Amino acid sequence: MQQYFENIINGIEKTIREDPAAASPRKKFALEISKLGRDLYAGRRPVAWCGIVAPFEILNAMDITSCFVEFIGAMLSSTGAVATFLEGAEQSGFGTDGCSYHRSVLGAAEKGIMPKPEVLIGTTCPCTGGIAVIENLAKIFNKETFILHIPQDESSENVRFLAGLIKDMVEFVELRTGIKLNRNRFLEAIENSNRMRNILGEVYEMARKVPSPFNGKELNNFGIVMSLFLGTKRGIEIAETYRREFSRRIESGHCGVPGEKIRLMWIQNRVQFKNSIVQMLEKEYNAAIVIDELNSITWQPIDPDDPYTGIARRSLSIPFNGPVTRRIDHLKKLCELYKVDGAINPNNWGCRQGAGSRGLIEEGLKEIGVPVLNLEVDCIDSRNFAEGQIRTRLEAFMEMLENKRS
Amino acid sequence: MYYLGIDIGSLSCDAVLIDHSERIIASSVVPTGARNREAIERVTEDVLRSAGISHEDITSIVSTGYGRNRVEKRDSAVTEITCHGRGVMAQKDGIDLLIDIGGQDSKAILFDENGAIKDFAMNDKCAAGTGRFLEAMARVLQVDINEISRLDAGAKGSVTLSSMCTVFAESEVVSLIAEGIEVNEIVRGLNKAIASRTVSMVKRLARNTSELSAAMSGGVARNSGVVRAISEAMGCGIFVPPEPDTIGALGAALIAKEKSKKMSA
Amino acid sequence: MSKKKYIGFTCAYTPLQILDAAGFTPYRILPIGDPPDRAGQILHDNLCPNIKRILDRALDRDVPPLEGMVFVNSCDAMRRLADAWRRIRPRDRVFLIDLPVTTEEHSISFLKDEIARLTGTLGEWSGNEIATDDIEKSIKKYNRLAALITELNEKFSSNNMTCSRKEIQAIFNRAVTEPIDSSIEFISNFITENDKRSNESDAVPVYIFGNVLPDPEIFSFFESCGAKIVSDDLCTGSRMIPPVDISEDNSPFYSMAKSLLMRTPCLRTMDNSKPHRFGEDIVQRAKARKVSGMIGHTVKFCDPYLLRLPAIRETALKEELPILLLEGDCTMRSIGQHRTRIEAFIEMLR
Ligand code: SF4
Ligand code: SF4
Repeated sequence: MQQYFENIINGIEKTIREDPAAASPRKKFALEISKLGRDLYAGRRPVAWCGIVAPFEILNAMDITSCFVEFIGAMLSSTGAVATFLEGAEQSGFGTDGCSYHRSVLGAAEKGIMPKPEVLIGTTCPCTGGIAVIENLAKIFNKETFILHIPQDESSENVRFLAGLIKDMVEFVELRTGIKLNRNRFLEAIENSNRMRNILGEVYEMARKVPSPFNGKELNNFGIVMSLFLGTKRGIEIAETYRREFSRRIESGHCGVPGEKIRLMWIQNRVQFKNSIVQMLEKEYNAAIVIDELNSITWQPIDPDDPYTGIARRSLSIPFNGPVTRRIDHLKKLCELYKVDGAINPNNWGCRQGAGSRGLIEEGLKEIGVPVLNLEVDCIDSRNFAEGQIRTRLEAFMEMLENKRS
Repeated sequence: MYYLGIDIGSLSCDAVLIDHSERIIASSVVPTGARNREAIERVTEDVLRSAGISHEDITSIVSTGYGRNRVEKRDSAVTEITCHGRGVMAQKDGIDLLIDIGGQDSKAILFDENGAIKDFAMNDKCAAGTGRFLEAMARVLQVDINEISRLDAGAKGSVTLSSMCTVFAESEVVSLIAEGIEVNEIVRGLNKAIASRTVSMVKRLARNTSELSAAMSGGVARNSGVVRAISEAMGCGIFVPPEPDTIGALGAALIAKEKSKKMSA
Repeated sequence: MSKKKYIGFTCAYTPLQILDAAGFTPYRILPIGDPPDRAGQILHDNLCPNIKRILDRALDRDVPPLEGMVFVNSCDAMRRLADAWRRIRPRDRVFLIDLPVTTEEHSISFLKDEIARLTGTLGEWSGNEIATDDIEKSIKKYNRLAALITELNEKFSSNNMTCSRKEIQAIFNRAVTEPIDSSIEFISNFITENDKRSNESDAVPVYIFGNVLPDPEIFSFFESCGAKIVSDDLCTGSRMIPPVDISEDNSPFYSMAKSLLMRTPCLRTMDNSKPHRFGEDIVQRAKARKVSGMIGHTVKFCDPYLLRLPAIRETALKEELPILLLEGDCTMRSIGQHRTRIEAFIEMLR
């Protein structure tokens, strides 16, 4: 695995060296992700497997290579290697009705290709399955777990509770890794985190432009993966690259999808394996995915004098947390800000948290006149992907949106 | 003294008649059809006739299969899991795994060193990996179901079906035909798909399959291509009894004998 | 007695004592009846049949008049159910208890605050502030109920009850839908009436575990397959009413929070210091009952169990306790499809 990431890194670095103009933001993003992947497998620094809303700025400040487990599922899927791991998990008795991000991770851990963690930090948001995976990993790697209970709303008591819990987590991590959280490093990380937040905010704002300055692949999986870089210089660099490129494009009037006609929102996560959905939308319908649900800044800058409170607030602010009405409000706001014509909800098979709200989301967006296409796919397991059927549904949806516009 | 085992499945109804020394005297297989009572009568008459005995000569009857409770003359009903297990044990010593692939379902049975059932797994929800799947594919390929077993001869194994589901696999096969892929390659691909489903089920019982001494029963066991593919995927040899489709009924007959011995003891 | 004022609830982690102290009758909406068929349109078909059936019952108005609903954030599906409830019955008052997944001190203290918040809200709903005295009285009553349920269970599993498990399930279902006083009364009577050594049978003793399985007929079905369900670990079975240990120096809220989190758990709860402990404990409890095997019955699409069954299975096999895992939607029809599996399992155990 380490070699795999080394190869990608070398490949990208070589391309950039030979042709600096090829240093697109997406390349930079891919490069840094690959470096993170390499670090996970290199075994040089302790590894933390986490839930999605873990306080990555703190772990990064402690030089702990940290990542949410679902990242591995997405990676295995995008490289086309996921089937064996899903099969392995099934043979171990993990029923196929569960989320395949999680099943692939369990399969990978059993086959020994998950890096061994020093600490395991689960987060109750976004999903029940995520916690159960952390528990299984704890068994496999013989480690204790720390679970961050993410309360349902942002009341001041809840924020205080979570802030306290994050402090306890730091103690837990210090004890298990022998690494102390250095005050100055922490402050620096908070500053980095805030800077990245601000630059990302600008990037997302530029993305609102009509027509959109970028195409449907450039910000794919972006917001959620960027949280892994919270508190790091790398994160700022990636965000900077995007900002630079986007402002250049806006100045030059560049348009991500030439002849943009339809603007789409993607709900939750993308389909992770190779597929032709985006290409088809862009080429055949001039339809651009202009916003992904998680490409958005939902939290305030963190106050360096009271960092735990700010971090707690950030964890609570993810739209997946709390009642679905909160999430629907968020989606509605994005629809308005990004002038969206329609939304695509993949409804990842096995996701109770997300797909489970299918009907309510659809109805909520209907209220503001944004139709939703429910794809009903497994975002990780390509074996059940019926391209033909998906195509037919997408085409029908696009025709409907075209008619609506004219 | 004679003992009768009747296995009434969804597609076929089988009967095996044994004597006191556990020798098979007669056996019969008929399609179950819509009215299983008729099928039960027919197989019973069949075996009685070819053995030249009458009803009164039968000491005990055990029924098995999904229609086991519909056999009115039964002395008891026993599940097909137990019967298949008992049946295959009579055919060969030292078996520790039996794979049974019938028309509608498939099962894997794991035995301990004494031949007692230790664990089992069943797939009765999804047609993939059953006789029904093969039948559907034979239809798409426009070949006879009895012929399909020989059709993978000479295939290089270049085709892998990605779909597990019968419906999807059907359209995949259609497009393979359209691409002009040789029939033998497609059939090999199908066999591999069934094998991978089956091995998945087996691995839920035993992670390491290569050291198993395995056997296979059920109608699909007559399909040498599928047996070969499963054997390759498991990394072990597979014993196929001479009459693989009547193993359940044989087991039932043997259990009938044991039960009546217990009763009289 | 005045007309019963019902509050609906859906999870065995609900602090019923508070509902009772506020003058309400807790009414558990059990997933009983037809298989769910409409909830999927409001949410998604991939949610557990417990949630979907409860929602179908709400859509059918197959619930008594309710003064409100108290949900528990026990899993993603339950949270979505609360969302859907608000949507289809917008006039109902709804409260969601945020339940931590771990059992350490900070979780207990968080839950304590949640119970206090619930108390405040229920006080508003009833129009009277709830007195600590009343809560303590309710705790005593529920402890009595819990003790009766334990007694019933113990007697049944040691063959000292002449009733069937089906009758016991019917009793369980009544106990979570009727006022506490009458529940206590009819269970005591039931125990007295059936308190006799039962006849020996040749059924195979089996332990059952899982999540929801409230249909009494299902237990007759197990018996018809040759199994005797000696004891259970089901949230609609013997673990549905956990007793509260009151410690002198702690508030009732704290005692309740602690008892709820330390109770015989649903696998949605976990122990940070020992992964899969709660699953392994089930196997130990089954062994303590000297059964020949254990059956796990879980509803489809239940994440907390889906991802923990392999560990339970592994433990059971290690402990040489045969185990059969079944999945369904808690209807007779779905369990009926497992007849061959169950019978084969029983044959294997004989
Ligand atoms: S897709 Fe849903 S269930 Fe899967 S990891 Fe994401 S939130 Fe959890
Ligand atoms: S714990 Fe399982 S059965 Fe209970 S509501 Fe959640 S998903 Fe459904």
